Amino acid sequence: MKFAIAVFSPAHAPSSRRALRFAEAVLAGGHEIARLFFYQDGVHSASANVVTPQDEQDIAAQWRAFIEINRLDAVACIAAALRRGVLDEAEASRYQRPAVNLPKPWELSGLGQLHEAAQTADRLVCFGGD
Amino acid sequence: MATLHVLSHSPFGDERLDSCLRLLGADDGVLLCGDAVYALREGSDTQRQLQAANLAQRLFALDEDLQARGISGALAKAVGYQAFVELSLHYDKVNSWL
Repeated sequence: MKFAIAVFSPAHAPSSRRALRFAEAVLAGGHEIARLFFYQDGVHSASANVVTPQDEQDIAAQWRAFIEINRLDAVACIAAALRRGVLDEAEASRYQRPAVNLPKPWELSGLGQLHEAAQTADRLVCFGGD
Repeated sequence: MATLHVLSHSPFGDERLDSCLRLLGADDGVLLCGDAVYALREGSDTQRQLQAANLAQRLFALDEDLQARGISGALAKAVGYQAFVELSLHYDKVNSWL
């Protein structure tokens, strides 16, 4: 079965960790992840500049590794990302900002990608809040 | 359509649990995770509320969140992430109370 997973919370929120563990279990169960969509504060997980205290789990790094190892389609909502200063090279240059903090494998794209993922997948599961 | 309702906020801080139980369909399930598992605390109003809702076989709680909070949660079936995935497929859709 195909899953679309939407994450609304930043990497330091328990729900982001829960989403990651759920996503791992989806793949472990032999299912497919059509797309990971990071919305609202979830886009902070895509930032390469997140520094997690040493005595905490670095969930942002775990998301990145999970996406790279499994070659997943991971989209950060462009409007949510821009307002939070999460920029790829194209957007940093478009708005003349001094830093790029959204490297591959992340993509910036619109809410349409969440809609499309929800249509493509058998299940949409959202994670957010606490 | 049978829906799995996923709650993650403490029931003592907002009305999500009340709202969820009010509109819960006869075939719907409830999965408590994060601070929402406090709803199962022994002797609490929310535990009585869940008992009264008669959710036999339809009430689940994420095992790691029960353990992290020291809650026995006898009323709910404790599940791991693998079972969470299976539940999300068993029900027609998943509604997260974000």
